[in-house]
Amino acid sequence: MTKPLLKKKGKKPYSHLSPFTKMIDPLTEDEELMAGTAQGDEYSFELLVKRHQSRMLNLIYRFIGNRTQARDLAQEVFIRVWQAAPRYKPQAKFTTWIYRLAANLCLNELKSCGRKKLFFSESPAVPGRTPTEERNVSPSAEDILLAEERSRQISHALQSLPENQRIALILKKYDNLSYHEIAKVMECSVSAVESLLVRAKKNLQEKLIFHEK
Amino acid sequence: MKCSQVEKRLSAFQDGELDPQEEERVKGHLESCSACRDRHEELEKVWQALGNSQEIIPDPGFYGQLIKKINESDRASSPTGFRWLFQGFSSPWAASTFLIAGILIGAFLGNFLGRSELFPFQPSRAVQSQAASDVFSLKAFDPLPPGTLGDKYRRMATYEGGDRR
Repeated sequence: MTKPLLKKKGKKPYSHLSPFTKMIDPLTEDEELMAGTAQGDEYSFELLVKRHQSRMLNLIYRFIGNRTQARDLAQEVFIRVWQAAPRYKPQAKFTTWIYRLAANLCLNELKSCGRKKLFFSESPAVPGRTPTEERNVSPSAEDILLAEERSRQISHALQSLPENQRIALILKKYDNLSYHEIAKVMECSVSAVESLLVRAKKNLQEKLIFHEK
Repeated sequence: MKCSQVEKRLSAFQDGELDPQEEERVKGHLESCSACRDRHEELEKVWQALGNSQEIIPDPGFYGQLIKKINESDRASSPTGFRWLFQGFSSPWAASTFLIAGILIGAFLGNFLGRSELFPFQPSRAVQSQAASDVFSLKAFDPLPPGTLGDKYRRMATYEGGDRR
């Protein structure tokens, strides 16, 4: 067993596991992993982070538009998960809760930056998956440049949306949440979510058509 | 369904959020109305275009850096001074109860430790009172200063002959 990295007082790691179980089943529910995290179990926390880190990172990146800031904010989300674990009560789904955490952090970050719109100006330092790569076709240099340009246009268009429309659209399009789930994350009504998405799509239509011209 | 009604529900229709009956009505309208069909296609284009957004992959050091930040924030938030005393209490009520219990125990111990059997070298209150009254009673036999009213009254009361003045 490796020495735990987290120096948390309290129960020893793995204490909640049966003596015959040395590893947690990777299919363990998020709520059970949170219960383990609340007891100071680093392995539960690590599993939780690795399960949700990509989702959080991309949500925040699409909202903020800056890779470095998105990574810092994503880590901040998990710091708050760690700190809140002892008080966490599974009244809603864990994903709803963590999405709400991330959304609030994004909105607060914008407020603290004075509502400056950060445009995507970085070239991808870590290669992401493009639609061409997803089709298992080796992309040419031209394809890669085109994909990057399209991605940049979309990022610009997303950044131009008001914050609430942006969050609702990202949660619907990229995280595939239902209207009901988005309403829980944003703490508003389902009809408000629908209205936000209608306006967001209309705004995006104008922006993306303008780019095409 | 009218075009104005369908236009309002096109976004929800695209997102698959309509109930089955309404979905059927919208589908039926789209089959017969080219204007609404065009609007739907434009929405679909926008939706497809959004799919071209690149996804970023977390770097391998993400978790390690996160752990480092957590350890640093735990160290920074360790209570110091008097806050350390109340670190173990989960709520203000627990801290208050502990404080009140401490005061009561202290008062009880104070009364208990004041008992004479535990400290024989300290004079008891009764002995102290007796000694004090002895001291005061001795003064009753002190001679009164001559020439004072008390002295004259004493002479009058005892009538010591030959001492009249």
